[in-house]
Amino acid sequence: MSDPRDFNDAESEEEDDFNPAPADMSDDEVKGDAEDDEDDNEPNGKESTAARKRPITSQHNEDGDEDEDEGANEGNEGDQEEDEDDEEEDDDEDEIQGHRRKRRRDKRNAFFDIEAEVDDEDEPEDDEEAEAENEGFIEQEEPGDFGDAGRLESDRRHRELDLQRDRMNHEDLQKEAESFVRKYGHRRHARGMGDTSVVPQRLLLPSVDDPTIWGVRCKEGKEREVVYSITKRIQEKMGTKDELGITAAFERGGPNSIMKGLVYVEAYRQTDILQALDGMLNVYPRTKLLLVDIKEMPDLLRVQKTPTLEPGAWVQDITENGLDVRVRFIPRLDYGVRDESLSGTNADGKRKRPMMGPKPPQKLFSEVEARKRNPRNLTGNPQTNVWTYNGDQFEGGFLVKDIKIQHLVVNDVSPTLEEVTRFTSGGEDGVENIDLKSLAASLRDSNATTTYLPNDVVEVYEGEQKGVIGKATKVQADIVTLEVTEGELVGQTIDVPTKGLRKRFQLGDHVKVIGGSRYRDELGMVVKISEDRVTLLTDQTNTEITVFSKDLREASDIAGQGSLGQYSLLDLVQLDPTTVGCIVKVDRESLVVLDQNGDTRQIMPSQIANKLPKRKLAVAADRTGSEIRPDDVVKEYGGMGRQGKIIHIHRSYVFCHTHQTTENAGIFVSRVSSVSTISAKGGRINAASSGPDLDAMNPAKKLNPTGRGDMPPPRQVFGRDKLVGQTVTIRKGGWKGLLGRVKDTTDTHARVELHTKSKVISVPKTDLMVRDSVSGREIKNYENRRPGGPNGTPARPQERAAPDWNGGSRTPVTASSARTPAWKTPSGGAGGRTPAWGRGGDGGRTPAWADGSRTVNPYDGSRTAYGSGSRTPAWSSGGSKTPAHDFGSKTPAYGGSGGDAWGSKTPYGASAATPGANGSDSWGYTPGASGSSTAYDAPTPGASLLGAPTPGGLNAPTPGAYNAPTPGAPTPGGGWQSGWGAESAPTPAAAAPTPAASGGGYYGAPTPGAYTADTPGPRYTDDD
Amino acid sequence: MFFLYNLERRVTLHPSYFGKNMHELVTGKLLKDVEGTCTGSYYIISIMDTFDISEGRILPGSGLAEFTVGYRAVVWRPFKGETVDAVVVSVNQHGFFAEAGPLRIFVSTHLIPQDIKWDPNATPPQFTNNEDTTIEVGTHVRVKILGTRAEVGELWAIGSIKEDYLGTLQV
Repeated sequence: MSDPRDFNDAESEEEDDFNPAPADMSDDEVKGDAEDDEDDNEPNGKESTAARKRPITSQHNEDGDEDEDEGANEGNEGDQEEDEDDEEEDDDEDEIQGHRRKRRRDKRNAFFDIEAEVDDEDEPEDDEEAEAENEGFIEQEEPGDFGDAGRLESDRRHRELDLQRDRMNHEDLQKEAESFVRKYGHRRHARGMGDTSVVPQRLLLPSVDDPTIWGVRCKEGKEREVVYSITKRIQEKMGTKDELGITAAFERGGPNSIMKGLVYVEAYRQTDILQALDGMLNVYPRTKLLLVDIKEMPDLLRVQKTPTLEPGAWVQDITENGLDVRVRFIPRLDYGVRDESLSGTNADGKRKRPMMGPKPPQKLFSEVEARKRNPRNLTGNPQTNVWTYNGDQFEGGFLVKDIKIQHLVVNDVSPTLEEVTRFTSGGEDGVENIDLKSLAASLRDSNATTTYLPNDVVEVYEGEQKGVIGKATKVQADIVTLEVTEGELVGQTIDVPTKGLRKRFQLGDHVKVIGGSRYRDELGMVVKISEDRVTLLTDQTNTEITVFSKDLREASDIAGQGSLGQYSLLDLVQLDPTTVGCIVKVDRESLVVLDQNGDTRQIMPSQIANKLPKRKLAVAADRTGSEIRPDDVVKEYGGMGRQGKIIHIHRSYVFCHTHQTTENAGIFVSRVSSVSTISAKGGRINAASSGPDLDAMNPAKKLNPTGRGDMPPPRQVFGRDKLVGQTVTIRKGGWKGLLGRVKDTTDTHARVELHTKSKVISVPKTDLMVRDSVSGREIKNYENRRPGGPNGTPARPQERAAPDWNGGSRTPVTASSARTPAWKTPSGGAGGRTPAWGRGGDGGRTPAWADGSRTVNPYDGSRTAYGSGSRTPAWSSGGSKTPAHDFGSKTPAYGGSGGDAWGSKTPYGASAATPGANGSDSWGYTPGASGSSTAYDAPTPGASLLGAPTPGGLNAPTPGAYNAPTPGAPTPGGGWQSGWGAESAPTPAAAAPTPAASGGGYYGAPTPGAYTADTPGPRYTDDD
Repeated sequence: MFFLYNLERRVTLHPSYFGKNMHELVTGKLLKDVEGTCTGSYYIISIMDTFDISEGRILPGSGLAEFTVGYRAVVWRPFKGETVDAVVVSVNQHGFFAEAGPLRIFVSTHLIPQDIKWDPNATPPQFTNNEDTTIEVGTHVRVKILGTRAEVGELWAIGSIKEDYLGTLQV
C-alpha cells in the first residue's frame, strides 16, 4: 500500500532534508492519497498526482499542509511521536537545523551517561545505529575517564538539567505543533471546501522532478482491466523485496477516445514499468513506450463527459463490467452464401477473399432460410423463437449480441420511424416493448439534423416557456428566435434553444416530408397528430404514413408531382422491348411501375429503357369497336369491372386511372378489347373529329334552326329492292363479267337473269356491279341508293370507297379522282344537268355539289336517283379543300332561296335539280343518299360523313348521328321514295312550286318539271 | 361557400364564325369552356352574365379572333373549417371518400369517431358503430373540411366527422 511513498522516500533525498514534523504529515497524506489512487484509479488520477506534488512544492512556502484534509492531519498528530523516531533515524546526519542537532547531542550525552535512567522517559533510542554512535562516544570519552565521584555528581546534575531542558523542549515542540494545527488547521478547514483554485494551478503542475508518465500499449478495450491487474500486482508485491517501482497507473480509454489502447503508468524509471508490467495480460510493455511530455500531462487527465447509455431504444442492457452492451438488432445475414466462398480454398491453397459487394440487406432472422442453407449450425427452440445460428443468438428474429461500447455509434443515430416500429412490434403480445417516448427523446437529443426555417410554426415543449407557440423569425445555430402567436406572450419575441422545440402542425395542413425519413419528399395532408408523431395522407398514393414532426415542413399549396430524374408519376416507360409500364409511385431512389401484365415492380431509374412520350392522339377500339382515346372514361368488361379514365394507350393495353382504389395510385391496366366506353372526352361522337368543332357553332346553322341540325332518320326499307330490274354485271366467280338483269333479291343475294344465256343465277349482291342499262356505264355506289341490303354490306368495294369519298370533303383529291369519271361522263341528259357546276353562276357557288346530286343521274338523268349523284357534289366540294367551303355551299346566302328551298326541299328529290334551291334540296332529297346534303343538314361534320353515300357503313358506328336528323325535316324517306317512284308523285307536287319558279332555263331553279320528268319512277317503269 | 365573382377570360373564335352574331358565339363558347371548371381554389358553378366583350383581335398565324370577356359567375370555394354535405362514393379501411358536388373529400379513420369502426365483412363494406350510424357507399354525410389541396383541374379535401353534429344524415 505504501509502496509509492516508500519509493518516494527512498528516492528523493532532498525531500527528506525538509522533513520536520509538518513534513511528516504531508508524507502521510501522500500515503493516503496513494491509497486512494489505487483504490479507485479513476480519471481523477489527476488529483492524486497533484496532491502528491503538493507537499513537495508547498513545503518551500511553509504552507505545506494547506491542502491536506483535516482527518489526515488529526491522525498525524497522534502519530507524531512515532514519526519522530523515524525522522531521527533518517536525520542522523542532518546538520541544518541547529537546535535539533544540539538536542541530539544532549541526548547522546544522556544516553552515554545514564542510559537506563532516561530510557523510558525519553524517546526510544534503541536503534542499532544510535547505539553504534553511542559506542563511538563512549570510546571517545574513555580516554578522559578518570572516574572520581565529584565528576559523577556534576555529571548527574548536568544530565538532569539536560533532561529538564529536553522535556521542555519536547513540550515546546508539541505545543508548537498544536498551535500550527490550531492556526492552519482552522484555516485549512475554513477554506477547505474545495476552493483549491486559490492555489495557483501552475504550482500544482508537474515538474521535471516528478515521476514521468509513460504510455504503454495494450489491447483496445482492455485498458481498465489492465489497470486493475496493475493494482492487484502492486498489492501482491507490497512489502516484499521486489515492490513495484511505479507510482500510478491509469487509462483514458473509451469508445471514441484517441487514447484508447493505451495505459498510462507513472514511474521514475522506464525499467520500473517494464518490471511492473512484465507478464501481464493484454498489455505490451515491450513495445515502444510513449513518454508523455510534461506539458501534456495535465491534458492527459482532463475529464471529458462521456455519453451515458441508457437501456431502451437501441441498447438493451449493459453487462456488469460496464464495457459491453447487449444489443438487439436486425442482422444482415446471407445465410452462408458467402461463407462457402470463405471456407473453400483455391488450387494454390490460398483462401479466397470474401466476396466484396453490398452488404446483405437487413432482415429479420429466418429460421427457414437458415435451415435451408446451413442446418447444421442451427439450434434452437421454435416455441420461444430463440435460435442459435453460427454461434449467434437470435430472439424473435433479432440478433442479440454483446458488443463493446466503443464499437457502437451512440451519437447522432437517427433511426427512421419505420425502423423503430420494427423493434416495437417485435413484442409477441403486441405490447410495445420499447417506449416510443423515450426513443423520441433520445432522438431529439440528436436532432442536430433538425432544421428550423423562418416561418416554421414551432412549439416549445420543454423548459420555462413550455407551451409557447410561435413562428420562427430567425434561426441562428441552435437558437431559434420566435414570435409568439398564441397565449399570454402574444407578440413577444423570445429565443429558445432548438432542444426544447418541435414543429407544430394542424390537422389539414399540407406538409412535405424532409430529413432522414424513408418517406422523404412525400407530400400530404395531416390527418392526425399525437405528440410529435404526425400522420399524413399522401397526395400521390392516398395512403397514410406516420413521421416525426421534425421531419416535416409546411409545403406550398401547389403539390409538385413526384418525379425522379426525368421520370414522374404516371409516366409510361419502356422496361424491356416487350414490356411497358406506368409509374405508380416515385420514391427517393426507386420507382414502382405497374407493367402491362398488371404486375408491379420496384425498379431503379437506370432499369428503364426509355420513357414513352404521351401520345395524345393514340387511338384504339374498345370491345364494341368504338374508338377510345386518352381521357376517355372506360369500364372493364368482366373482370373487376373497374372504371377509369384512360391515361395511356399502348398497343393493345390501356392504363387507366380510377379514384375507386388507392392501390397503385389508382392505376390499373387492361386490354383495349376488354374495356368499353362509358363516356368519351368532350362528348365526342365520332372519332374522326379532331380540331375545332366547326359545325357546332356554325352561324349558318344557327340562323336556320328549323330542322337544320338534324339528319334524316335512317332509311326505311320500303317497297321492293331497287336493285331488282337493274342491269348488272357480275364481278366475281364463274360468271364473272357476264351481263344480266336482276330478277329478284334477298338481303344478300340477287337472282340475275343472264343476258347471254337464259339462265337465272344467284349471286351475292356484293359481287354485282350495276350498269346503266343504256350506256352500259357503271353506276357507282349504287348500293347507297338502294334502300335494302347494301346498308349492312359495307364489304362492297364501292361502298368502301364511299366513305372515302365522303371524306372527300376532307381529302378531295383522291375522292374526286375516284369519282370524277362518273360525273364527268354524264350521260347525255345528265350531262345537261351537270353543267351546273360548269356553269358560271352556279359553279361559283360551289353548286357543284348541288349539281352533283343531279349529275348523278347518269342513270336516270338529273334525277340523281342513284346515290352516286349525291356523291358528285362531294366531289365538287372536294375542290375546295376547306370544310368551310362545304358550309359555304350551305350558307343561306347560297341557299338564298332558303326558305323556299326548303319548301322545295320537299321530299321531292327533284328539287335537287334546282340549284337555287339546291341547299334545301339536297336536303330534302338527299336523305341519306347524298353525302353533301346530309353534310349540310347535319350539324356535325360527322354527320356529313354519314351523309356519305355509304350510309350502311356509317350507320353502324354512329347511328346516333345518323338518327340525328329531325324527322321534322322533309322526311327523307318520303323524299327518297319519291325519288323512286310512286311516292314521288306527291312530292313532286311540292317540288313543283319552287322549281316552277326557277324554270328550266335558270339553273338555280332547276325546273322541277323537268326534274319530275326525270323522276326515276317513270324511268323505272320504263326500264321494267 | 358560394360567391358571385367577376372574372375575365380570353375567348378565341374560329374565323368561320365571324359575323354579326359573334358576341353570342363568344358567350356560348365562354359558357362551354368555363362552366363547371376548377381554377385552383374554386369551382366555377355557373356564369350569370357577360359584359364588356372586347373587340376581337385576330391572332397572327392562326386567324382566330381573340376576345376578352368579362363575366360574372357563381363560384364555389371550399374553405378549411367549412361544413358541407356530401355523398359517400367509396369506402375502404383507411376511411371513406365523399363527394360534395365536384369536390372529393377524404375522411380518414383518424377523423371518424372511435366508436364507428370499419367492418370489412359487411356487404357492402362499411363503417358502423352497430347502432344508428352506418357509412357505406351512397350514405349522406355532413363533413367538416379540414384541408384542401388543389390539383390540376380539381380540388381535394380531407374532412372530419369527429365532431358534434357531423356524420351521417338521417334521410
